[in-house]
Parts: sequence; C-alpha cells; structure tokens
Amino acid sequence: MTAPTVVLQLDHTTRHRAGRPAVADLSLTLDAGQVLGLLGVNGAGKSTTLAMIAGALIPDGGAIRLNGRDFLEHPELARRAIGWLPERAPLWPELTVLEHLDAHGRLRGIHGAALAKARQRIVERLELGTLSRRLAGVLSQGQRQRLGLACALLHEPSLLVLDEPANALDPVQVAALRGVIREQAAAGTAVILSTHLLAEVTAACDRVAILHEGQLRYDGPITDDDHKMLEQTFFDIAMRGAQAA
Amino acid sequence: MSVFAVTRLELRRLFVRPLAWVLAALTVAQLAGRFMLLVQIFATHQIAWAAQPAGPGYTDIVAVPMLSSILTSGILPMLPFGLAELALVVVPLLTMSTLAGERSHGTLPLWFAMGQSPFDMVMGKFLALLVWLALWLLLVLAMPLSLAHGMTLDWGKLAAAALGLLLMLAALCAIGIACSAYASHPAIAAAASLMLGLALVSLNVGALMAGVDNGFVNWLAMSTHLDSLIRGLVSSADVAWFLLVIAVALILATQRLGAERGRG
Repeated sequence: MTAPTVVLQLDHTTRHRAGRPAVADLSLTLDAGQVLGLLGVNGAGKSTTLAMIAGALIPDGGAIRLNGRDFLEHPELARRAIGWLPERAPLWPELTVLEHLDAHGRLRGIHGAALAKARQRIVERLELGTLSRRLAGVLSQGQRQRLGLACALLHEPSLLVLDEPANALDPVQVAALRGVIREQAAAGTAVILSTHLLAEVTAACDRVAILHEGQLRYDGPITDDDHKMLEQTFFDIAMRGAQAA
Repeated sequence: MSVFAVTRLELRRLFVRPLAWVLAALTVAQLAGRFMLLVQIFATHQIAWAAQPAGPGYTDIVAVPMLSSILTSGILPMLPFGLAELALVVVPLLTMSTLAGERSHGTLPLWFAMGQSPFDMVMGKFLALLVWLALWLLLVLAMPLSLAHGMTLDWGKLAAAALGLLLMLAALCAIGIACSAYASHPAIAAAASLMLGLALVSLNVGALMAGVDNGFVNWLAMSTHLDSLIRGLVSSADVAWFLLVIAVALILATQRLGAERGRG
C-alpha cells in the first residue's frame, strides 16, 4: 500500500494581527482525499489560517508547503493548486456568472477548449445553467456562494479551502455542498473547511482540528461513535479559554 | 500570459460599467462642440491668416487645439476645454476603482489567492485603462481628421501632439492607479489623483508668473514636457520624463500591493 500524498504542510506557521498572534505556531498536514474540519469559536484564527493557506496572506513566521514545494517562495502555485472560497464569496458585481468562470479560468491559465469544457462541467455540477447570464451583483447570498464555489473548483485544484461555506445556505444547499465536498475528496482533492458548527464538521469531514486563540488544541480523526466526545472536547477547550480570559 | 489575462478581464469590466460610457459620451459631446467652434473660427479668419507669411493653418487652429488648450489659451480663452484638460478629471474617475474598488469589494485577496503577482495585477490593469484612453484619444482625433481630405494637414505636428497626449494620459493613468493602490476608498483615490495631476501640470505656473525661471521646477512640471510635444517638438528628454513618471507610479503601486499581501 502506498503512503498518502501530502498536499499541504503547515510548519510552525505564525501570523500576528493588531500586535497579537492571530495564529501561533500552527503545524499540521493534510493528505490528498482528506477532508479536514477546522473548528473554533469566532476569533479563534480560522479565517486567518485559511487566508494564509490560500495565499491571500503571508505568515510572519514558519513555513507552508504545497504539494512538496515551498508555497511562500512560489506563490504562483496557488494559480493551479488551490481553490479558495472565503466566508463572503468575492465576486465582481458587474460580471455575469459565465464571465466570472471565464475570467477565473484565464487567470489560472486555462484557455480555449479546455476552458469551455471545464466551464460546462462546473455549470452542470453546481446547477448554474439558469443563472449563467445573470449578473453577480443581483444573485442571492446562496447563489453567490454557489458561484464562488464554482470559481474555486473550475481548475480542479489539489487543495480546496472553504471558509464557513455553509453560511447563508438553506438546508437543501447545505446537503448539496456536502455532496460536492465528498465528491471532491473521493477524486483525491484535499479539502480544508472552517466552521464554528460541530455538526457541520461531523457531517462533512473525516478529521477535525480545533483552533482556539490561534493555537491548535486538538487534531484527530472523526469516527461515527465519538461525536459526543468531540463535542465535549470542543466545549472544554472553548470554556477553558473563556475562563482564562 | 497572466498580465494579458488581467488586461482582458479589466477591459471587460470597464466596458460593462456605465461610468466609462458616460464619461466618453459627455467628453466627446463637449469636444464635438469645441470642434465646431474651432472650425467656425478657422473659416472666419482663414483668408486673413492665409495672407500672413507664417499664419496658422488648420492643424494649428483646429486639429491640435482639440487635444489641448495650450495653443489657443491666448487667442481663444473662452473656448471649452481640450482633451488634455478634460483628462485631468476623467482619468482619476476612471482609475479610482482599479485597486481601491477591489479593496472595498473584498476581491483584492482573491487576486493573491489566484497566484497573481502584484506586478501582473498593476500592469494588466494599466494596459486595460490605456486601451480605453487610446480609443478615447482616437475618437477625438477622428473629428479634425474627418476634414483632412479638404485641408492641408501638418501630419508631423499632429502626430507629435497625439504622442504627447498619449504619454500624458498614460502618466495620469499610472498616477491614478498608484493613488488607488494606496487609498482605502475609490473617492479618496480620485481626489488624490486629481490633485496630483493638477499639481504636476501647474507646478511651474507660479514661478513663470513671477518671472523666475527655475530649471528644476520647470523640469518637474508636466506642462513643460507636454507643451513641447503639443507644439510639434519631439524630444527624447520629454518622452523620457513621461516614461519615468509612469514607471515610478507603477512601481509604487506594485510595492503597495505586495506590502498589502504581507500586512493583510
């Protein structure tokens, strides 16, 4: 049996914000096909961590390796290897859904027939056909999230980074999102998603990392019979932090 | 290449936004009015000017004054603005959202997360705006050129003036992008860019009015370099001044974006 491919490796990654460590000495690895849930209360450092992993933010210290290469030295790796959906999907309001997909494709180096094929695949997969000519500025919050996810998946990245992706989605959309995440993982994509909802992690992830005050407090697999234990661990960490504060 | 992907996207965004169309429509309408007045003045005085040994021709009275008021400010002070004067307002309005708009929409981190370097972003956006500005310039030039078949046009002088205008538009565009890179909101970027443009153009006015010929202040002023080109004198020193301003402004914008990725 071959060892799983390590897609992402964080090594003592640190990032300060407003003079305080938003993420402190964070080390973790993520294998291909693995879905990691980054769990934490608001302000735990989840979004900062994901922004660094996505290449939107440079760490103050430590290293990030993407598919075995130093990501800080080669930020251009993000172009083909990473798909990122922040908490609020960043869209250009004056462009249509299809124009967004075309622009993302070209900026990531996909052109011509390959772009047309990728666009068709993602439009069908995320059921964006009826919205294709609509301007992003008039989409509902759920539709914006779907378009953001389509842009993140268009180039078939090896690492998918989702920051609170289920926010503003209705239950049907949440179920569809989980389906997409599972499909991506089955195809070998490493997925990291942040949330402050334990149920979200247990439903979609096969591993959980709990962040609190920028530090990794727990990292372990999720099995069907340890949801209660995980819930207790999360509350213990959060409550301890609150009491210490 | 990534720069051209950025340029293509920015051109698309520029042409679907109403601002660029509104600015083009209003300024071209105003310049069409100026063109009619210039043609009328030329038709009225044509015979008298033709009798003078070095009298002004169609190029001096109609074609070049469409681009700038410099040549006509003495003899025709009541005419509406030329393209150069309008550009001082139009270019800041066009450039204000290039990076400050991305920042306020929350799309700036997305560019970094797509592996785009600050240089690619700045250069791509600059080239897109330059295409729009070049089309604007061509549209304005088309007015005097429409009568070229019946007139004797000094092509060299007009080409020098057009080059001067293109360089001025490019310099203002680069300054606008730099202001947009530093500003938190597009309106602040537009105000800063407008003030910088006005300052560069009028830097030496006070000294000239006082009769002081300060070499450095004159060199620093954009009007010094633009005037020569508008008058048909192409000097590599003037062209180099514009290229220097463009390079400095784009480097500042690139550095600011790079720092932003580090700062968050």
